[in-house]
Amino acid sequence: MTKPIIEVKNLAKSFGKNEVLKDITEQVDPGQVIVVIGPSGGGKSTFLRCLNLLETPTSGEVDFDGENLTTLDTKRVNELREEMGMVFQGFNLFPNMTVLENIKLAPMKVKGIDDAAATKRAHELLKQVNLDDHADAFPSSLSGGQAQRVAIARALAMDPKVMLFDEPTSALDPEMVGEVLNVMQELANQGMTMVVVTHEMGFAKSVADRVWFMADGYIQENNTPEAFFGNPQTERAQDFLSKILM
Amino acid sequence: MKKRLVLFFALVLALVTGFTAMTATTANAATDTSLSKVQKKGTLVMGTSPDYPPYEFQATVHGKTKIVGMDVAVGEKIAKDMGVKLVVKSMSFDSLLVALQTGKVDMVISGMNPTPARRKNVDFTHTYYQGGYSIVINKSDKGIYKNKDSFVNKTIGAQTGSTMYNESKKQTSGTTVKGMTSVSDLILALQSHKIQGVAMEKPSAQAYVANNKELAAIPSDFNLSASDTSASVAFKKGSTALVAAANKSVDQIKKQNLVNKTYLPAAGKYLKTNTVNTSMFHYWKAFLTGIEYTLIITVCSVFFGFIIGVILALARMGQGGAIKTGFRWLATAYVEFIRGTPMMVQVMFVYFGLGLIVNLPALTSGIIAISLNSGAYVAEYIRGGINSVDDGQTEAARSLGMSSGKTMRFVVLPQALKNIWPSLGNEFITLIKDSSIVSIIGVSELIFQSNIVRSDTYRGVAPIAVIMVLYFILTFTASRILNYFERRMQHD
Ligand SMILES: Nc1ncnc2c1ncn2[C@@H]1O[C@H](COP(=O)(O)OP(=O)(O)OP(=O)(O)O)[C@@H](O)[C@H]1O
Ligand SMILES: [Mg+2]
Repeated sequence: MTKPIIEVKNLAKSFGKNEVLKDITEQVDPGQVIVVIGPSGGGKSTFLRCLNLLETPTSGEVDFDGENLTTLDTKRVNELREEMGMVFQGFNLFPNMTVLENIKLAPMKVKGIDDAAATKRAHELLKQVNLDDHADAFPSSLSGGQAQRVAIARALAMDPKVMLFDEPTSALDPEMVGEVLNVMQELANQGMTMVVVTHEMGFAKSVADRVWFMADGYIQENNTPEAFFGNPQTERAQDFLSKILM
Repeated sequence: MKKRLVLFFALVLALVTGFTAMTATTANAATDTSLSKVQKKGTLVMGTSPDYPPYEFQATVHGKTKIVGMDVAVGEKIAKDMGVKLVVKSMSFDSLLVALQTGKVDMVISGMNPTPARRKNVDFTHTYYQGGYSIVINKSDKGIYKNKDSFVNKTIGAQTGSTMYNESKKQTSGTTVKGMTSVSDLILALQSHKIQGVAMEKPSAQAYVANNKELAAIPSDFNLSASDTSASVAFKKGSTALVAAANKSVDQIKKQNLVNKTYLPAAGKYLKTNTVNTSMFHYWKAFLTGIEYTLIITVCSVFFGFIIGVILALARMGQGGAIKTGFRWLATAYVEFIRGTPMMVQVMFVYFGLGLIVNLPALTSGIIAISLNSGAYVAEYIRGGINSVDDGQTEAARSLGMSSGKTMRFVVLPQALKNIWPSLGNEFITLIKDSSIVSIIGVSELIFQSNIVRSDTYRGVAPIAVIMVLYFILTFTASRILNYFERRMQHD
């Protein structure tokens, strides 16, 4: 039995009186690709942000690689965040830096890697996402698809063990969705552990090992894609699928 | 004599007196060490306000500006008799007594008359000069005006707050009395026929008339007590030994009539060399010094103000924890307080107030005060700039493992600065202009220098025009440079 890399135990999160996450207990094994789907406002982003403690859980625990994040000091949390790359719906590239500088910043400032090594690694990653010819461009000159691929390369530059994606293609024009999904698929093929919040059902069907259906603050279903899409167990999931698959 | 007593300065004086009373040990004749202290350090520092010829004024001697006049001669005699070197320190008249009480100077000789109000705060020597008053008029009006009573339905000018100003009001009827702060301005008003006469001290009147063929002097015929027209040397309260030593010199000066026989004629000579060439080019060095100090003050204050601003902004934005809350509260209070009090008061407070604890030079005090002031404003710009950076930027940086400090330094602040660069640039330009406020504590920046040139040349407008152009050149150049950097920062 492999040890799970992420273990979530009785996780709950409220904003004031708004109980967004109620009681979540799940785990992610190394190399697994998890796709989280569910209705808007169901707490998917909040859940993902609790995994790397961008959001502090109200109760419960999040274990990463055997360490309970909620009990660690800030310094250790910062160190563990290096091992969890995150990709946002809105890219969040640093607009005042070139593509190359975006990628090099964290390795140099956090890991203390020297400029030459960081540059070399950044070019490798840019090749991996097919953007090496844009190394010196500023983010404002990139299309959405290009920007998101840079963001993925930036996260990979820290050599994370896990990648978290929060609706990485939702802000893109339809014709650019494919290029981003291809990069993600390749990443999955290389064995990267991934937790992906998305509405791309095709991606979920072909790439995911497990699909988690999240609504009303709970993971309502946890199943293989075939089982989930072929034979959803809960009424909530059936309802959701009938709406989006129309 | 000069007696401008702005209420505000009186207040500062009262405050400082209060402090001094609390901290200083009361000295009496038996224990007074004031004289031996001066003799030990070998210098006697004299404070004066060199805008009042022939008492004290700046003259260009062999290409160097120097403070001269009959008061300086008096100071030199006193120092010589004590066997020490005289050091002359210039500052605005209103600041002199405060400087005396805070130990910035050892004595004040500035045509100051020993009024009862002043006697409460400082000790005076015997009178070294007994003056009187004249009224300066345009020479073309010589037949019309005879004395103070000839100005019915006319206007007389006098320095605001001076004895002359008060007496002119009291002792004339049907005459309007117009007050202005500087004698140069009054003469200008006279020559442009806005007023018909200027009441001032006899020696000053003589100097003006001697140097300007358009002017004439008539007697004032005011009823005045001796103490209103006499000049004395002021020392810190309780320095009995110093006063006694100085009195010996003063008595000699009186006995030998040195002021009228030697000092005044000598001062008159300087006045001549001084006014031979009243072209503004002749004074280019004075203006250059002004520019130099204005720039030093501005650049230093912007630099330190920025650092203070960043610290304040971060303190104001700190969340959680008792310590952070405490700092946030302090920073907020500081910003509100600084923004709610005049910069002028802050400059005075740093120079004189802090001066009780550490003896700071005027320039340093000015830079500290303006930096502290600017920091409060810059803090608000920076806070706004930081808030304007999208939260997503912070999240992206944190998700990459960057600490909150590194996130601030490498991701948020650079973007915040870019956003607020125009505001910071404005602050810089504002400081170029506002740095003029330190002229009140005697820092020789542009305004201070132009006032000196004005009283030296008896030309009212030309120096103002010169510094106006100079200020514009400074601010315009600065804004061009800032624009250049702003353009270079535009990447998106
Ligand atoms: N920082 C916050 N403060 C207060 N409420 C919040 C905060 N972040 C999220 N919420 C609330 O939590 C709930 C869940 O939000 P969340 O963004 O996690 O949902 P989601 O499933 O990602 O939705 P979407 O599909 O629209 O992205 C919403 O009601 C939202 O208003
Ligand atoms: Mg979301």
